[in-house]
Amino acid sequence: MNFRDVGLTQEEFEIIQSQLGRNPNDLELGLFGVLWSEHCSYKSSKSLLSWLPHEGRAVVQGPGENAGVVALNDRLHVAFKVESHNHPSYVEPVQGAATGVGGILRDIIAMGARPVALADSLRFGTDNSAAIIQNGVVEGIGRYGNAIGIPTVTGEVAYSSVYDKNPLVNVMAVGLLPLDRGVNAQGARPGSYLVLLGQPTGRDGIHGASLLASQDFGDATEHMRPTVQVGDPFMGKMLMEATLAAIATHKLDAVQDLGAAGLTSSVAELCYRSGVGATIRLEEVPCREQGMTPYEIMLSETQERMLLVVSPDNWPGIEPIVQHWEVPYSVIGEIMDEPHLVITMRGDIHAMVPPEILAGSCPSRPARSEWANEIRQNVPHLTSFRPLTFDPEQALAVLGSVDCRSRHRIFERYDSMILANTVWGPLHDLAILRTKGSKEGLAIALSGPGRYAARDPYSGGLAAVSRVVGLLAAQGADVLGLTDGINAGNPDKERVFRELTGLIAGVADACNIFAVPVTGGNVSLHNETEGDSIWPTVVIGAVGRHHHPLEPVPDSPWQEGMDIVRIYPGGDWSLGASVFELLFSQLSAYPRPDLERIRRVYQALDEAWNKIPSYGVRMIGAGGLFVAATKALLAMPASLGMEISVSPDDAVRQLFSEVSGQFLIFCDPQATPRLMELLGPGIAGEIIGSVTPDSNLVIRAGRAHRFERTKLDRTFRFGYGG
Amino acid sequence: MTYDVVVNVSLKEAVLDPAGQQVARVLHNMGYAMEDVRIGKQIKLRFQAADLTEAKENARQMAEKLLANPVLETYEILVTEP
Amino acid sequence: MKVGVIIFPGSNCDRDTIEAVERLGMEAIPLWYTRKSLTGIDRLILPGGFSYGDYLRSGALAAQAPIMEAVEQAVSRQELPVLGICNGFQILCERGLLPGALRPNSSGEFRCTWEYMRITSVPRGFAGLKEGDVLRLPIAHHEGAYAVQPGQLQSLFENHQIFLQYSDETGSVHALTNPNGAVANVAGISQGLVVGLMPHPERAMASYLGSSDGQRFLKAWLGEGSQ
Repeated sequence: MNFRDVGLTQEEFEIIQSQLGRNPNDLELGLFGVLWSEHCSYKSSKSLLSWLPHEGRAVVQGPGENAGVVALNDRLHVAFKVESHNHPSYVEPVQGAATGVGGILRDIIAMGARPVALADSLRFGTDNSAAIIQNGVVEGIGRYGNAIGIPTVTGEVAYSSVYDKNPLVNVMAVGLLPLDRGVNAQGARPGSYLVLLGQPTGRDGIHGASLLASQDFGDATEHMRPTVQVGDPFMGKMLMEATLAAIATHKLDAVQDLGAAGLTSSVAELCYRSGVGATIRLEEVPCREQGMTPYEIMLSETQERMLLVVSPDNWPGIEPIVQHWEVPYSVIGEIMDEPHLVITMRGDIHAMVPPEILAGSCPSRPARSEWANEIRQNVPHLTSFRPLTFDPEQALAVLGSVDCRSRHRIFERYDSMILANTVWGPLHDLAILRTKGSKEGLAIALSGPGRYAARDPYSGGLAAVSRVVGLLAAQGADVLGLTDGINAGNPDKERVFRELTGLIAGVADACNIFAVPVTGGNVSLHNETEGDSIWPTVVIGAVGRHHHPLEPVPDSPWQEGMDIVRIYPGGDWSLGASVFELLFSQLSAYPRPDLERIRRVYQALDEAWNKIPSYGVRMIGAGGLFVAATKALLAMPASLGMEISVSPDDAVRQLFSEVSGQFLIFCDPQATPRLMELLGPGIAGEIIGSVTPDSNLVIRAGRAHRFERTKLDRTFRFGYGG
Repeated sequence: MTYDVVVNVSLKEAVLDPAGQQVARVLHNMGYAMEDVRIGKQIKLRFQAADLTEAKENARQMAEKLLANPVLETYEILVTEP
Repeated sequence: MKVGVIIFPGSNCDRDTIEAVERLGMEAIPLWYTRKSLTGIDRLILPGGFSYGDYLRSGALAAQAPIMEAVEQAVSRQELPVLGICNGFQILCERGLLPGALRPNSSGEFRCTWEYMRITSVPRGFAGLKEGDVLRLPIAHHEGAYAVQPGQLQSLFENHQIFLQYSDETGSVHALTNPNGAVANVAGISQGLVVGLMPHPERAMASYLGSSDGQRFLKAWLGEGSQ
């Protein structure tokens, strides 16, 4: 076997030779191959990710562990992270998506948290096979989440032909843990047992991460297709209960889940973080198939497995717990002082490598901060697209477009209510969960339109953060932390690495302005088939502390006569990167959000709860004001309608611009002046209409255009002309 | 001629069968000694074809394109002559 | 009153159910599926979930669990009120303690939505519900289409065993209000003291969660409801 067979470069191989002081054998080469892959080592993105701020008042655990942890209050912590399963979902949509859900849940569980919510961000293509892939992915997410019993409470989906052969499946999981329940992968002590729990190991997904997720797709990958991992949510449930019960005893040294690169990555990371070594006896690993080689056992990606580290003294207290939950287990080795990972099979040593070299020495691609500066200053020209007349048919086409229409056909296939915490589920732009036993609840948002990053990744990065922070601000919720899911093409190409630089610089700048930390995330590169790469796509998950979760700020009006106020952070009413532009012109750059102004809007919204008696608020997003108003209307009692006026000579831009930082506010006319005062100088707040007793939507743009509620409802639910 | 064709779809040997595992476990608890259980699907087709070869070929194409998932499953075709 | 809640491997609504029972002031006793006796239990709930991963057929594997022997005996002595919710309903049907079976939804897909349903007849022991009452409860299932053998439906109606039917807000039952393809929109049935339903009352315990009709339903089953 040669270093190229396992995906290493000449330079990397030479570093391995010099650090080891010898040539690695085949098994060792395999270990390096997976651990130094893009997927496991983050070698192309690590230095860019160092730009993200990680500090915050609520941060308990930043990046580097299985998941980030933030403090909800003085009793509860929240563990959360987003992870992608893009390549597997293209190869086998149902199982690829299902195992993605299983994987991110195990990350949360490994922190000692009980998962309480899932959210997913999906991107699909527009060709014939895209619908089949979407159906499989949705089935897979539902199959796993529903069966293990964790609700899928929010999410988003968007479409473009750039995702035809590279669909994106980013799943976020959120879990809760009592303050004293924290555990991590840093506490392994010499002499302790390594206990492998869960599914017996098979020849599943060998090289899945290192080759499939770290190289581009093409004909050449066809023969490398490994045995596809099958998710078993039943075993996942038993493993979850066993692991959480074991952690609750406070008798474990450390916990690490088995994900990409299986046992190899799990043991190497654990030893590296704990500063210890370990011996593994492969004959002790329960196998599903006969005659598995050390190489196969070490690299298998069989799902539903977890590694516990527990001292011999404490093991008798843990073993009955594992037995109760009927999870297969085996003591497969011990932790030792000497910093070596020693892999043996029936007494023979098959590999001996310091974890520090395996998990800590992969060279990373340097960040180009001068590129980031260039990108910041290089503001793209905005489109001059400015249609003169408002056409109601175009409005309906936007509403019923794939990017705007109702997602009920997707989210009704997910259990969004199990655990009985869901106050706001997938019908809303963000999820709101109560937490049992605490006054504070969770606000969870996940978003990141790739469209906004397509022509100017920096702008897309700013917008993604701005959107989720705004969704939480509208509820008066405190942002505790963010998780980032970054997806892009082949980083070896200068164009792609530049895009990635812009995207991450945008996320970093926005986080700094809003003063919100990123506590971990995921990077998926090589989303590229036959040379065509996806749009650089970042999805940002936010977790917030909601102060009145049983009583969310409504996102639609509730009585006749209420004012409809539009908040606009200023600047040009550009149609850049809007759905309207996508449908009726050509996609151009997304106008860069003016974050300083937007931050002031958010501050005002944040204060509103305590200062205004009762009001509703809805963020304006895809499809602009028209779609936001329609969604609010459809959520109102059927007897109520809206009348909205826009300036006749700029109606289309005012109705369909997706510029960041816009909101609709619904409030009692007596409270409106108070609201305007809150906004402060320079932020435009304008009464654009009111709630009527006539159940339909009337848009006044010079003349009045009337949209029947039933027509809007049908278009929103089934698509334009549907 | 009308042919009755049975397509038996089963998971590839190396692919994990969680359902089979649990059925084996419960059968074992019910007192049946069990070494392995794997669950597949049986699909019965009835269609017109010129001859046996064509019937088999058509069934093979249906299995490849739709009835079996080549990533996870294998299939066998049994044709009954009219 | 001691309300037993059976936990099968893969049950996942057990915690929600236990919390709902406790919220109504009852003592909830978790019962692991290997138990062989139900001594000291006044009422029994088989909660929702994916027992044994729903593999083979939903409920089929759990119907063979050791504790189901004891449930069967208690039912045959007509001394224990038993409520099966969702997967619990499926298990009761698979064990033969309720007539009929739950087939995959007609859409072929899992479905989680809020539905209205009408009390068609009040099962034995219920207090505080009357015929024609309309409840709003969530469903969340893949195999929830109630089915019976040909000719069986008539007698189930005649014996007042069909107690819950998917309806509209006003209680009218028709094809458009059938979320899963269940025969005659059946959402729940009873036989003696055994009751099964697909919707999840334990998730509808407060208006901020979408409805408090689940609380009303469970109170009625516990015999504690009032008009």
